[in-house]
Amino acid sequence: MAAPPRTTPAQELLDLLGPVEGFHSREEYGDFGLPARVTQEDYLAPFARASRDSHLGPLEKVHAFWFAGMSCDGCTVSVTGATAPSVESLLLATHPGLPQVVLHHPVVNLESGPNYMEAAERALKGELDAPYVIILEGSSTDETLAVPHGGYWSAQGEEPWGEGGEMRTVTIDEWIARLAPGAAAALAIGTCATWGGVPAARGNPTGAMALMDFLGKDYRSTFGLPVVNIPGCAPQGDNFTETVAAILYFLQGFGPLPEFDELGRPAWLFGETVHRTCTRGAYYEEGAFADEFGDPECLVEIGCWGPVVNCNITSRGAIRHVGGCMNTGGACIGCTMPGFPDKFTPFYKRPPGSTMSTLASRTVGALVTPLRRYTTEHLNRTPRWDRQDFVPSGWSREREEPGFIADLGHRFYDALRRSNDTSKSDAVEWGRGPNTIGDD
Amino acid sequence: MCFKNLPVEFDSGGVATLRGGIPDPYSVTVSKPEVGVTDADREEKIQRLMASNGHIKDLNMDPVTRVAGALAVHVTADLDTGSYLDAHSQATLFRGYEVILMGRDPRDAIFVSSRACGVCGGVHSHAAAYAIEMAMGLAPPPLGTVVRNMGEAVEMGYDNPLHLYLLAGPDYSEAVVSSVNPGLWRKAQTWRCVGTGIHGFVHMSDLMAALNPLAGELYREGLEFTRVSREAFSLLHGKYPHPQTIVPGGVSSTITVQVLNEFHSRLSQCFDYARRMIAVWDDLCEFFYEADDRYQMVGYRPNDFIDPGFWDDPYAYDADYATCNDWGERRFSTPGVIIDGELVTTRLTDINIGWEEFVDHSYYEDWAGDRYQTDELGNPISPYHPWNKQTIPAPSGKNWREKYTWACTPRWDRTSVEAGAYVRLMTTAMAQKQPENEFMQPTGHSLRMTIPKGMGPEMEVEWHVPEKWNAFERNRGRAYHYLFAALVALESLLEAYRLLKAGETRVAAVPAEELEDHIPRDERRGVGWWGAGRGWLTHHLVMDEGKIVNYQICTPSTINASPRDPWDQPGPFEEAVMNTPIIEAVEDPSKFTSIDMLRAIRSFDPCMPCTTHVHTPQGTVTREVNTCSCGVD
Repeated sequence: MAAPPRTTPAQELLDLLGPVEGFHSREEYGDFGLPARVTQEDYLAPFARASRDSHLGPLEKVHAFWFAGMSCDGCTVSVTGATAPSVESLLLATHPGLPQVVLHHPVVNLESGPNYMEAAERALKGELDAPYVIILEGSSTDETLAVPHGGYWSAQGEEPWGEGGEMRTVTIDEWIARLAPGAAAALAIGTCATWGGVPAARGNPTGAMALMDFLGKDYRSTFGLPVVNIPGCAPQGDNFTETVAAILYFLQGFGPLPEFDELGRPAWLFGETVHRTCTRGAYYEEGAFADEFGDPECLVEIGCWGPVVNCNITSRGAIRHVGGCMNTGGACIGCTMPGFPDKFTPFYKRPPGSTMSTLASRTVGALVTPLRRYTTEHLNRTPRWDRQDFVPSGWSREREEPGFIADLGHRFYDALRRSNDTSKSDAVEWGRGPNTIGDD
Repeated sequence: MCFKNLPVEFDSGGVATLRGGIPDPYSVTVSKPEVGVTDADREEKIQRLMASNGHIKDLNMDPVTRVAGALAVHVTADLDTGSYLDAHSQATLFRGYEVILMGRDPRDAIFVSSRACGVCGGVHSHAAAYAIEMAMGLAPPPLGTVVRNMGEAVEMGYDNPLHLYLLAGPDYSEAVVSSVNPGLWRKAQTWRCVGTGIHGFVHMSDLMAALNPLAGELYREGLEFTRVSREAFSLLHGKYPHPQTIVPGGVSSTITVQVLNEFHSRLSQCFDYARRMIAVWDDLCEFFYEADDRYQMVGYRPNDFIDPGFWDDPYAYDADYATCNDWGERRFSTPGVIIDGELVTTRLTDINIGWEEFVDHSYYEDWAGDRYQTDELGNPISPYHPWNKQTIPAPSGKNWREKYTWACTPRWDRTSVEAGAYVRLMTTAMAQKQPENEFMQPTGHSLRMTIPKGMGPEMEVEWHVPEKWNAFERNRGRAYHYLFAALVALESLLEAYRLLKAGETRVAAVPAEELEDHIPRDERRGVGWWGAGRGWLTHHLVMDEGKIVNYQICTPSTINASPRDPWDQPGPFEEAVMNTPIIEAVEDPSKFTSIDMLRAIRSFDPCMPCTTHVHTPQGTVTREVNTCSCGVD
């Protein structure tokens, strides 16, 4: 096994850039980008602040700095779809038991420019009034490739951190590297930030990598946590807000300690394969597979990797329990996995490993499916129809009434079913009274 | 004859040729647009004003928030005369998605390119599918195209309210207006809304309070309606963003009555909401124009637009470049280019051959070589055309005279054209080529649309092509576009029912197993002309020996956020900012918020994630020494 590198990409970048000397003064930019004259934090305070005695725990307020690295903003979009809990309930503190989350997010905030960056400066200076977490959407990169040329791959804001206090564009990686040590937690959302994702796929020109790669194995937040990973491309929005909520429930004193797996994923969300809760999973069991796109059966043979992928979208749906890839006909391409995308391509092609297991399930299915169909036919008849040997349906039934052998089989099956039915005991059913019209 | 700058002319059969006798006809020094003001003029003026005026501010708004992705805008503002003397739009992100696409099996393109943007979360997979289908010669069966139309129409139903209420809306809210335009706020408190009967707000100030971020009713309702539309999308495609059921030659969605009914039930909620949205944005336009005529100039640009059309006729689309002008004109939204307010073409081939992308002011090196002189029909194309393009990223220092952004500079006929969802209304209204349908009727200067009965009665609304194009019209146009898209979704849903009724359930051209056999081994080109929440979207690809050898994405925000072109013509954001008057009160320069510029920029609904993803053949980073940071320092 190779030894982990001695330094981290985050440290290398900071070594290259040198320490932060100062910050630009408010006078330089005044209200530029601050059309409400207040930041979103201050604007929402009256709506969000809880009254003292309504607290369900010690935390009143948490700052959340959201950074988009090599990102498509899809994780942001997913989170706006979440409802368990919703982003508006977190920001307005309307979810009992949770503190107010003061979100600093470039897609959401009221203020722009230096007035937007001012909160991150306060965090760096240690002047925030509450603990903060950092959230990265999109991959980290290797900015050491671009910095020597005075350039960047991904940046947000300018600070007087250049030579002689000159204004310089600040990269997302630099913000992360500087803010991570003081953060109560570092959360990676989406497959790019958790594992590298598409920006780190074959041909990657920017040195894109996961937040874990960037901060290194030894990273611990001030609360003692390694990087928390919520993967998915895009992730299910509730998976993110629920993880945040679960950590906060615990910190507030009423929730259980949230369990994370060995890659820092919430174990209760990613412990199962997506196949196990797939609405089409039982087709697999019977060896029934979609052949054409759009067919209703199991999708393995049109390229679905569900049986080996850790994800919960088939049980949780994509948004408010609606959708979910395989439920609607979309083959799983493993978008929650560290191997995504290059270990799943070319798409629409059956995973080689499925050949053996589909052969096994086809064999089992050849036996089980006809037996199930036989029993289903029996269950589709009322006991009355059995007795009269006739189904009074006006719909054109092509099925014949069960013959002698089939009937014998059903009687045997019913006998088996009732073999230990305690209702066969001899106790007198005196509550019926003397004149009940009952069945035998 | 639609070109005035490119040396391209047409014969009587409509086939284009290069005008003879011009050496190096596509050289930027040979075929030039007429340009009013050069950067040198602009700089000279700024220097002159600097000498006599202490109220010139040089400021960089980094980041511009409430836009998707990473955008910064540099302005030189003259607070004395209330004008923006200069503006530079900067995309501050590069991810290299196209290089990741190059060298891959074409079956990878749909799901990999989808990741170019999660805000426009379904459109890239569709554009990629169209490009591959053209290269592979695979046309979807009707239901495949119908399902795509349904999904892509309701995607707009998420996108438009997201912009109008979460991103742009706060700029017109009580929180902002009462602080930055106190005079306007006083007027709003007594101004009676026209649409009270529909939206329920009596005074403009009530409406503005409902636009307040998070606390306002319209803000939260907008967020909720983005969810309703995303549910409808996810019923067909599994999830949003990054749908999982788009395949070359169709979709893999399982279409049943349950799916159609659940889609139907969500779509039906959108019509009353469309009625309300239109009434809100009509009133906002009315109020601002009445309060101060100068708002007509906020975000003003000349009427130069482009759109490749959107939502196909399932019986016309055949994935063939040779017939694209026919199936293009059968789209629900007609392709078109508008120059100076005139519709100059509706042909996809004209749109394609007039297209070029430049990198003079972007963090890339220029490329040499023109692999193709023509398209596959023999129409001439430029060495700067996406099929010929190579882009070599070279991150370097920011320099307004040289390079300052990761976006490149797309131009049509060397003219700066604007993209937007509203361009669909415009081209469709003017062309009058929309296939006949129940709910929409273009008149040549307007688009009449019927809102089906919901809680409110059936009602006809009419969107008129505005004479003056500005920030308010962009927002109003987006509100009408929400209805337009919902009606396309309804028309498509009805078509899906008809197909199911006829027993037509096939959704893809070939089974998965046979896809591999359809990958051609010779050199092929393809283009996917599609649309995003912000308008224009194209994917151009070249395949050879079965793999992708070139892939070029051009998004609407690449067009709108583009920097200067080789002739100093500013990109649409830059131009709109420079035309914007500073209306906010700035007696005290430290109180200058730049709200007018922010309203102008946000009205475009910038979406930066997909703006900046050009390919590089080697992934090399090239040194470029660049220390001068000019402008006004």
